[in-house]
Amino acid sequence: MLQILKKTNIDFIGKRYYAFAVSGILMIFGIVAFIAIFLGKADLGIDFAGGTMLEGYFEEPVRIGELRDAMSRNGYDDAFIQSLHREVPHYFLIRVKTTIEDVTQIAEDILGVLEKEFPDNKFHKDSVDGIGPSVGKTLQKQARLAVLIALVGILLYIWIRFDFRFGVAATLTTLHDVLLVLGILFILQREITLLIVTALLTLAGYSLNDTVVLFDRIRENLKLFRKKGGFASTINASINEVLSRTIITSLTTFLVLFILFLVGGEVVHDFALALMLGIIIGTYSSVFVASPIILEWERKSPKRFK
Amino acid sequence: MTQKTRSYLTVLIIFLILASLWYLYPSIRLWTMSESKKQTLKTTEPQDLISLERKALNLGLDLKGGMHVVLQVDQSKLKENERRDAVDRALEIIRNRVDQFGVTEPLIQKQGGDRVIVELPGLQDVDRAQALIGQTAQLEFKLLESQENTTAILKKIDEVLAQKEEALFEEKEEAESLEEAKEKKKIVEDLFAPEEPESVSEASDTTDTASFLEVEEEDLYTERPFTSLLEGFGGFWLGVPIEDKPKVELFLNNPDVQAVIPEDDEFAWATRTEIIQGMEYQKLYLLKKRTEFSGKYLVDARPMARDEYGKPYVNFKLTKEGGRRFARLTGANIKKPLAIILDGRVESAPEIQSKIRDEGRITMGGAATFDEAVDLSIVLRAGALPAPVKIIENRIIGPSLGQDSIRKGTNSAIIGFLAVLLFMAIYYKLSGVIADFAVLLNLTFLMAVMAALDATLTLPGIAGIILTVGMSVDANVLIFERIREELRTGKTIRAAIDAGYKRALTAIIDANITTLITAGVLFQFGTGPIKGFAVALSLGVAISLFTAVVITRVIFEIRKGYRALSI
Repeated sequence: MLQILKKTNIDFIGKRYYAFAVSGILMIFGIVAFIAIFLGKADLGIDFAGGTMLEGYFEEPVRIGELRDAMSRNGYDDAFIQSLHREVPHYFLIRVKTTIEDVTQIAEDILGVLEKEFPDNKFHKDSVDGIGPSVGKTLQKQARLAVLIALVGILLYIWIRFDFRFGVAATLTTLHDVLLVLGILFILQREITLLIVTALLTLAGYSLNDTVVLFDRIRENLKLFRKKGGFASTINASINEVLSRTIITSLTTFLVLFILFLVGGEVVHDFALALMLGIIIGTYSSVFVASPIILEWERKSPKRFK
Repeated sequence: MTQKTRSYLTVLIIFLILASLWYLYPSIRLWTMSESKKQTLKTTEPQDLISLERKALNLGLDLKGGMHVVLQVDQSKLKENERRDAVDRALEIIRNRVDQFGVTEPLIQKQGGDRVIVELPGLQDVDRAQALIGQTAQLEFKLLESQENTTAILKKIDEVLAQKEEALFEEKEEAESLEEAKEKKKIVEDLFAPEEPESVSEASDTTDTASFLEVEEEDLYTERPFTSLLEGFGGFWLGVPIEDKPKVELFLNNPDVQAVIPEDDEFAWATRTEIIQGMEYQKLYLLKKRTEFSGKYLVDARPMARDEYGKPYVNFKLTKEGGRRFARLTGANIKKPLAIILDGRVESAPEIQSKIRDEGRITMGGAATFDEAVDLSIVLRAGALPAPVKIIENRIIGPSLGQDSIRKGTNSAIIGFLAVLLFMAIYYKLSGVIADFAVLLNLTFLMAVMAALDATLTLPGIAGIILTVGMSVDANVLIFERIREELRTGKTIRAAIDAGYKRALTAIIDANITTLITAGVLFQFGTGPIKGFAVALSLGVAISLFTAVVITRVIFEIRKGYRALSI
């Protein structure tokens, strides 16, 4: 039998205060990011903020610095420019955020700038992504509604499925996971795009898995160990028992996401990153957040488990 | 699990595998078909290829390439009663226009109160499509200013500008030799050689020549600042090289120049630029401001491939009232050009050949292609679009990005899949291989269900499939870990397998339901690519309940009798 972990006996519960500190700090960033997004102050992607992205290639080599200078000479100071590896060489992505509603005009304008600045080096456009601010606003509204409904849906399910205390703990853990990922993305200065929101919602559903597995075991053990041992040691034993499967289930999903992150290309790059973070945090939080909440609650107001 | 259930399940599984393969067969055939074979099939059996493409799994715009446009219908200028169905009419008109492209399965959809989504998958000629869809289609017909008057007005413009230039560059001005002046005079005269570009007639009789003349502008510039920029003059229109267009526009906007343009005249550009003798030109017309006829009288317009002289043309029909008005207009203006103007730009200016009542034809001039006749007929048919439309979202996925996404998506799916298979086989040995078999079936069923439901595969959808692979083995991990645990407590293989499946089941169902909730919400709110993700993930997770739990269980039932379990 091949095992990543032999039978462990780690005192997770004893280390919970360190975890609370780390989670607390990261959550502050998450809350800041959350508020910033709702106020429209965060670094929103063009699908939410409105703007135009242009992809294409030059016939001759162009240095990214030249391109950047050319764009800023023509009033596009904050253009985001990236060199991409495609089958065609000299391939670039140019992204500008604008509040102009007529989206075809911006793309035309950028193409005009490129033609003017690089007269002997033709730029061939491949893809365009132009989104008017009003479309962005609609999308923002929809995304907010989607986040709200998904969270409420998951919470309702947890509440039906578990009793009150486990329900609250699982709910808080889910919120914790989403906020932490958001906070880390905020620190990494990643743009909040539609795909990132999708990733956050997906991990809200998925990161719960580890908590569910652990809670199942805790409840099972609480019945068995009611007579012997204390509450804290029962929880700690449960964590140790399911630790290997928690890690392996996360590992398989992490594995595919890591490959997507490496090979999947820039479109899904941040999406994979957000989910990877979510999986790590989801595993961590089932051990260091969800279980300690149950413990602390039991300490404050003891309750006999059925 | 009784012997009987096991047999039933085995039959069901075999049936499902066969059904999946049946649904997947068209996709596999299409995707493995070589490009050259596709081309031959396109010419020999086009119907076969179309039905194959229809049956195969749809690829989303982000993979196939194409364009996605969201239009906003501006209703602010409409009266209350017009507003009611303005969006629906716009939708109809746009649908009508889009149909002309022959794109397979375009999507035209109303969104919210005043938006229309247009998706044209696999479209190559994006600029043409965009021009056609984005047009607000205020169709008008106007007469052109006569040649004599045009010449006079152009001269006046030159004079006004030359005076200004003189004031600026007086010191540079030098007397020009008589010879040079003569030469210029000749060129200008040549420029005025008339030409018939296009004609509108009842019966067709068209002769067409694309005479074109180049003028050495430097010599002429000081004396004729304006006309020297016009590199050609084809009877009714002025040819402006595209690089001189900004300058011409600047001149035309000059208040002094505007002062010499008569009140009831206006300059108007052609809709498109065209290449003449290797140079890009845009035609400029001098029109009478009065709208003689409006697009609302048009009933129908159809492109025709060739007339008696092999030229493409457009047949059109007018309403009764329109016919009366048009007869009056054309009867009074035979041999004069009539400009067809869409949104202030001249689409074409055919010459009126005869009096037209309610049916006529427009013969395309020059080296016009059938596509141009198609476009013109679409423009005519659109009539007057009830309200102007504005493109507020414009996504074009070019072939390079689409192919790159397919390649990277497939690569990460294959590598991710192999990594998971390998991990499971190493970690859980034979049991792992059984789980691998379940994942393989999960993928097969997933793709088959997507093909059967006519769902669309997008790049996030591929990510969803990859995620499904990672998640669906979770169920097997939970089961196997539990079986190991039960074995460690000294249970028999039979008891350990039973307990493993039974105890792990609640956690597996819980985990999958929460994922299904989010996927459902994403499906409801997501746009195209995100919807693809939601579909792949929710189907994959739902199917994994069957493959990872039921199918592996059937196999494990057989292993119950074994003396040692490879896990």
